[in-house]
Amino acid sequence: MKRFRIADIALGIAGLIVLLLLWQLVTSLELISRVFLPSPAATISALEWGLVNGDLLPQTLATVNRMIQGWLLASLVAIAIGSLIGVSPVARAYIQPTLEFLRPLPASAIIPVAISLFGLNASMVLGVVVFGAVWPTLLGTIHGFAHVEPRLVEVSRLLQMSRWEFIYKIGLPNAVPDILAGMRLSLTVALILAVVGELLTAQEGLGTAVLHAARSYRAADLYAGILLLGLIGLVSNYGLAIADKRILAWKN
Amino acid sequence: MIAALTKSWRGWLFPVLVIAGAEIWFLFNPVLSDTLAAPSKIVSGAIETLTDGTLLKTTYQTLVAAAIGLLIGMVAGTACGILIGLARTADRLSSWSVEMLRPIPSVALIPLSLLTFGYGYRMEYAVVAWATFWPFLILTQHALKQVDVRLMEVSKLMGFGIFARIFKIMLPAAAPRLFTALRLSVGLSLVVAVTVEIAANPQGLGYGLMVSQESLRPDRMFALLIWVGLLGWALNYGLVWLEGRLFAHRAPGAVASA
Amino acid sequence: MAANPAIELKDVSLSFGSNQILTGIDMSVDPGEFVCVIGASGSGKTTLLRMIAGLLTPTTGKVFSNGKPVLKPSRHVAVVFQDYGRALLPWRRAFANVSLPLEASGMPAKDRPARIRELLAKVGLAHHEDKFPGQLSGGMQQRLQIARALAQEPDTLLMDEPFGALDAMTRQTLQDEVLRLVSERKTTVFFVTHDIEEALYLGDRVVALDSNPGRVAYDIKVPLPRPRDQLTTREHPEFLRLRREMFEIMNKIHA
Repeated sequence: MKRFRIADIALGIAGLIVLLLLWQLVTSLELISRVFLPSPAATISALEWGLVNGDLLPQTLATVNRMIQGWLLASLVAIAIGSLIGVSPVARAYIQPTLEFLRPLPASAIIPVAISLFGLNASMVLGVVVFGAVWPTLLGTIHGFAHVEPRLVEVSRLLQMSRWEFIYKIGLPNAVPDILAGMRLSLTVALILAVVGELLTAQEGLGTAVLHAARSYRAADLYAGILLLGLIGLVSNYGLAIADKRILAWKN
Repeated sequence: MIAALTKSWRGWLFPVLVIAGAEIWFLFNPVLSDTLAAPSKIVSGAIETLTDGTLLKTTYQTLVAAAIGLLIGMVAGTACGILIGLARTADRLSSWSVEMLRPIPSVALIPLSLLTFGYGYRMEYAVVAWATFWPFLILTQHALKQVDVRLMEVSKLMGFGIFARIFKIMLPAAAPRLFTALRLSVGLSLVVAVTVEIAANPQGLGYGLMVSQESLRPDRMFALLIWVGLLGWALNYGLVWLEGRLFAHRAPGAVASA
Repeated sequence: MAANPAIELKDVSLSFGSNQILTGIDMSVDPGEFVCVIGASGSGKTTLLRMIAGLLTPTTGKVFSNGKPVLKPSRHVAVVFQDYGRALLPWRRAFANVSLPLEASGMPAKDRPARIRELLAKVGLAHHEDKFPGQLSGGMQQRLQIARALAQEPDTLLMDEPFGALDAMTRQTLQDEVLRLVSERKTTVFFVTHDIEEALYLGDRVVALDSNPGRVAYDIKVPLPRPRDQLTTREHPEFLRLRREMFEIMNKIHA
């Protein structure tokens, strides 16, 4: 069993190396112009220089900051409102159809509205990130509250629990898996909207950095920025996956 | 029947109240707003975008960009998904690369796509294709892994070759899950296309929204926004309906659990 | 002067729309009595239990608990459900599951652990307090549900086919444990089952329900000596005679 896992890792790394070699090959043979595709070495050195001497580190932190702030704010709002709607069948009957209708709406489409309300600034970007990141967690929370095992509702009645007790002892823990699933999706959405917001407003951040790099034909810097954005996505995904596993220990 | 009616009646009440409330609010606060518009103004804005051709033109542009990008993502993603879903070695070789590349947010590629292709359809295809490639890859791979082992054994016993096995057994067996991948990706392609248009590409509904905002026409802006919402909703609803029709004869779990 | 009956049903009927579930039920259970209710599926025996628990209101007639009309659930009445997998809180460890009724009744947090450990020990789960329900076997989960019910210190325990989903060995062990636990506190038990032998083995009385609509068909005393024993009780001539009688009754009902 263990040998298989080591083999898996070795093959996985080998595959990655093959990919990098292919990239190197394509650039050394200049199959694609270096204006559009820099060599891996150039990208790595641009990444290194940018992080050590340039602005890449503060820009990364600015984007991460925006993403996390918006995501946390959105999660709080979503869990609070979602609990209130989800716990009441009446509220669900009136409000859920509207929410289901709004769900497929591209969150970025709200950007023009946000610009006209707030202008082209940091709080507009944060507002858009929050707006977009609210949906997955909100709908997850409602779903989790709406699907409490009927037997547990009876248990709460037998023990004469108050509505409030029911929410935080049965409703909320029952919704946790759905809330976490929603929050994972929300975090991805938050990163995307943070970058789009930066592209539009030129606020400090990786979105702005990659746009400037592209406009001035600094391909290596552009790829360095894209790699960092991928890394943010990767790390945040893994972080949440680990948190998931710990919090949902009871599911296994 | 009556239950369904009252349920839908309840669902309508909330948006109707919001619209009526907004209309009344604008009635008593008749400031000429550059940012918001009364529902009645939005309706006339919608009629205007329809009659001057903006609505049709931008919708066409967005849908074409989304559809062709989706098609590229679907073909590439499904092909790669079949490969790594069937060959264990390909799966192991690609696992790390997939894990590293997949989290790159599609919008991060907007500047690169702009640099490579300039403004126009092609840069939008590229970003939409990147975004939809991953769900097809992952879901195809999972769908194939979940094909019943017994079914595979049967196909081997019948002496089918590898292609016959793929096209006669595996893909039909995985069809409900593949359709789910399609449904999710159709929604995603619309979202990404509109996002690219808002962020950079001067065409389509996203750009139409930005132009309405910049020219201080909130009535047109909200009309287009609602139209984008309707479009996304209708696409999703239509595909869910189709999914039910196509796979109704399958075990209910096959679609529901996908 | 006799005390009020622990449970009393007066001409109770229940219907959902035009569907008559139970009709004309008159029944009385004395304090400390162990009454088993048997009947085929569809005889409304679970529905009857839910009305006594206050989870359902009869269409006509009245349900009393210790002389007071039952209008809603009471903390003096505990329920053990058959589907332990659904009735336990899957995200709470065994310890915290037993804690739930103590929290609901407002017991101070510092007094709870001792009481919880005592209850877990009573049902043989002393070494499993840190496990989630999903990590326990079916029998252990049902023990946990019983511990949770006992935490309420109920006067009346309502058990709805509690051992229906368990294997024969586990079932016998748990039958004996329930008898021991309820005799300690002289708890009144209303025990629903579809197993004639189980009903005779456990009960002071067995009530058989006829179906469609559910009504009391037969009500017999079980004059078997206590404490009961899986071997001697089940071989007791009276047990065998009653078993035969009950089989004949049930066959007649469902003929």
